[in-house]
Amino acid sequence: MNQTINASAGLAALAALAALALPAMADASHLNLAILVLMAAQLGVAWNIVGGYAGQISLGHAAFFGLGGYVSTLLLAKLGWSPWIGMPLGGLAAALLSLGFGWSCFRLKGHYFAMATIAAAELVQIFFTEWDYGGGAVGLYVPMDRQGWLWMNFATKQPYYWLALALLLATLAANLWIERSFLGYYLRAIKDEPDAARSVGVDIARYKQVALSISAFFTAMGGSLYAQKELYIDPGSVLGTALSIKMALVSILGGVGTLLGPVVGAVVLTSVEEFTRILFGGTGRGTDTIIYASLIIAIAVFYPSGVLGWLHSRLRRRAVPQAAVAPAPQGEAP
Amino acid sequence: MKLFSKRGVAAVLAGMGIAVAAQAQQEIKIGVIYPLTGSSAAVGAELRSAVELAADIVNNGAKGIQELPFADGKGMPNLKGAKIKLVFADHQASPQVGATEAERLITQEKVVALIGAYNSPVTATASQVAERAGIPFLNAESSSASLTQRGFKWFFRTTPHDDLFVHNQFEFLKELEAKKGIKPGAIATFNENGLWGTETTKLQAKLAPEFKYNIVKQISYSSKTTQLTSEVQSLKAVNPNVVMQSSYAPDAILSMKTYKELGFSPDMVLANNAGFTDTGLIKTLGKDAEYVITREVWALDLAERNPLIKQVNDLFHSRYNINFTGNSSRAFTGFMVLADAINRAGSTQPEAIRKALTETKILGDQLIMPWKGVKFDETGQNTQGRGILVQIVDGQYHTIWPFNMASRDVIWPMPKWDQRK
Amino acid sequence: MTAELLLQTLASGVLIGLIYALVAIGLTMIFGVMDVVNFAHGEFLMLGMYSSFWLFSLYALDPLLTLPLTVLMLFAFGTLLYRLVIRRIINAPMLSQIFTTFGIMILLRGVAQFLWKPDFRTIENSAVSGSVQWLGLQLGRPQLVAGVGAIAVTAAVYLFLHRTRVGAALEATAADKEAARLMGIDSNRMFSLAWGIGAACAGAAGGLLSTFFPIFPDVGATFILLAFVVVNLGGFGSVTGAFWAGILVGVIEVVGGLLLGPQYKTAIVLVLFLGVLMFRPQGLMGKA
Repeated sequence: MNQTINASAGLAALAALAALALPAMADASHLNLAILVLMAAQLGVAWNIVGGYAGQISLGHAAFFGLGGYVSTLLLAKLGWSPWIGMPLGGLAAALLSLGFGWSCFRLKGHYFAMATIAAAELVQIFFTEWDYGGGAVGLYVPMDRQGWLWMNFATKQPYYWLALALLLATLAANLWIERSFLGYYLRAIKDEPDAARSVGVDIARYKQVALSISAFFTAMGGSLYAQKELYIDPGSVLGTALSIKMALVSILGGVGTLLGPVVGAVVLTSVEEFTRILFGGTGRGTDTIIYASLIIAIAVFYPSGVLGWLHSRLRRRAVPQAAVAPAPQGEAP
Repeated sequence: MKLFSKRGVAAVLAGMGIAVAAQAQQEIKIGVIYPLTGSSAAVGAELRSAVELAADIVNNGAKGIQELPFADGKGMPNLKGAKIKLVFADHQASPQVGATEAERLITQEKVVALIGAYNSPVTATASQVAERAGIPFLNAESSSASLTQRGFKWFFRTTPHDDLFVHNQFEFLKELEAKKGIKPGAIATFNENGLWGTETTKLQAKLAPEFKYNIVKQISYSSKTTQLTSEVQSLKAVNPNVVMQSSYAPDAILSMKTYKELGFSPDMVLANNAGFTDTGLIKTLGKDAEYVITREVWALDLAERNPLIKQVNDLFHSRYNINFTGNSSRAFTGFMVLADAINRAGSTQPEAIRKALTETKILGDQLIMPWKGVKFDETGQNTQGRGILVQIVDGQYHTIWPFNMASRDVIWPMPKWDQRK
Repeated sequence: MTAELLLQTLASGVLIGLIYALVAIGLTMIFGVMDVVNFAHGEFLMLGMYSSFWLFSLYALDPLLTLPLTVLMLFAFGTLLYRLVIRRIINAPMLSQIFTTFGIMILLRGVAQFLWKPDFRTIENSAVSGSVQWLGLQLGRPQLVAGVGAIAVTAAVYLFLHRTRVGAALEATAADKEAARLMGIDSNRMFSLAWGIGAACAGAAGGLLSTFFPIFPDVGATFILLAFVVVNLGGFGSVTGAFWAGILVGVIEVVGGLLLGPQYKTAIVLVLFLGVLMFRPQGLMGKA
């Protein structure tokens, strides 16, 4: 067991070192990939708060993402407010929106909840498509004329990397805090034994809502960061159901309900997407889509606890023979 | 032959010399970002073929097409015969993927310029990456006017944009009145509600009064619809004489079929490219597509007046078994403009290419487009482009406007459905 | 807003609603029998359309003629899919189920693009082109035939479920899997059958649609949301419910679009969806 803990700590230290050293060593395109991973991980961690810990499978999280992007961009483009103000305001707006989601959807169980979130998010997308002031179908450009830290607009990739990393760490911290707090305790109860929890007097609806609101808040901040990085948003790219699916997928790939699962999932998913597209995308036959889809199916069918779940079961299998047969240097072969 | 004998050394030196000489014939890498998978993939494939042909002409020549620049196929003359190497990337109609691919092409593949991306939202983000990196981005097919309103230095667009295209439609109507005595009457707009359709709807609302026309109704519908019956009903209810329509291929087909089903016969359907110029439209609708007028950017019958167009189209057809379309012809042209600029720059330095692009001055007779030429203004927009109008007659697209380029006279109004043979 | 306009709109709403119903019947059956939400259902529709198309292009066989063949092929495909993939996630957590069918959806779209390219296709001049005049209304013949076809297939499914032993076994499994098993009904066979019939129904809808609707790899996306709304309104698991709900959704969509503007058609349907989920989740006729 000690070896497992040491291995994890070592791995964590290595990862931290790599994360800090990367901007200095990688070129712009690799750094960009790293940023994509960080952003996908952050969205996955945020989704996990309500999807993994509270067990509420939301497939409409893009609504929060897009709302965050739209709020901060509108405040910037129309009122000249810095995204540093716009970002948390976008988060608050999303938390408010999540009240609407919660009210309409939380009574529903399982599949019904998931479908309701899809419908609610699609409604948000239609709203932004038809809302002229917000750019409508044409979308919004983030003004390029104001650069620098005050405006969260940079010519190089490094600052975006640090921002994405910081946001991920903040979201992880929030997740960790929830996990260790009474909220986490209640959420686990709600997820695993809802009837028992209710009978003990836990206000299920309230705590689900809290989880959703926190999740929405962080998801929206991710949306603002996206807007500042890509400098253009439109309903199709930030409010679509495909994006919601991806946020959930990242957690599932890595391990739902675990702290670092979404991070692992983000690494795996982004790598697969990039490599299949680079290798096969140019041919236009759709081979990369087929590979991507096969991966999703394989994970969902054979490894439902994701990569982390698979790793844990492997490590456990190795650890047990070690403890039982103390001095044996090797456990079973992997 | 001993390695260190005189002959051996000479042989080795000769070999190195050849290698060095080969190096001098360097490669000029150009990144091409198009939708190669997903819903726009059919167009993406056409665009890819067009750019491949253009690069091939530069590298290997085009026999007998003397007016075309680079037709002797010796690569770039001012760069010691350097050849073009294309690096294709698929953006899957996602703005973020487009930006990522732009990033990769610039940093990993070290392309000297980018060309792309057809879908306006993707062009927006991919060109933004190029702008930040200081790499020229040539856009040949995206029509959203906002793309050249960003104050970018590295973005160049050869194609006219939506504002000009809607202008063309109204100019046509005005000239129809002036020269043929045909009054359009009440106009309704019937556009899909995505980025392109919405921009067009706004432009039509803005420009109609300037041209002294009255729009009685503007209908926005979703292109992803299962049927258009109620939409066409609304249209029928206002009884317009002219329907200005911006549709993609599936909804163009669906709408025309619904017009026929519901017996809706306006005087004219004045379409706006895209779906109505899709290669599948006439094949699918057959006789029901007759008499539709659409704004276009290119037409096959232009070849009758301009032998260059015929020659290049024949070449394209011989290789890919399809004729040029508005999209592929623009992609071809855009690439040639880029190649011309790189050549004039005499260098692969991005700033030199950019400067050369700003100094571009190409005359219409060197192009396969019905344009006055190519010259970029300070926003990077080509100001010498134009759209044309074509009408479907006997299963073919015929240029009917500008009147001095027309290959036949316009038929107006469209015969009613029950009066067609 | 004349009466004629309204009547015409109602008629087209009913006709397209019948198609929605046919797609939804398969979906509701799958959910009713094994509690799995099939996100890939639209792709069965797509495959049915392509089946019709290729039989027409390659062998000049009219879609109406080849409809039974299309149905059989989709039945086989659905069963195969069950045996290969779905069988493994019957007892898996809901998240796995959602993502498995979701992955299948993306996979089938990708394969369709790979095999048949993304260009859209249409079937022209089949036996049912043109339109008819009836009571002052103008109705497209393909749509009419499709509507009639949808009614026929729905009736066939209904009769199968209520008049045959196998059908009864299926209903029993849907009602209570364990009890059915105790009575000697092999759940695995029932699931496989449900999946096959579900795919077959969607395939039939595709075959009927192919006479008037463009065919392309992503066409399933256009119908899947509506199918879910219909299943939800009719009641998850109820075939009769799906039938009537389909017609209702078709009418609401079309009339709503007429009154409020076509860009809001989907929004109206979505609000209906959420409303039913919130206030009457069992739908019109479903089990809770």
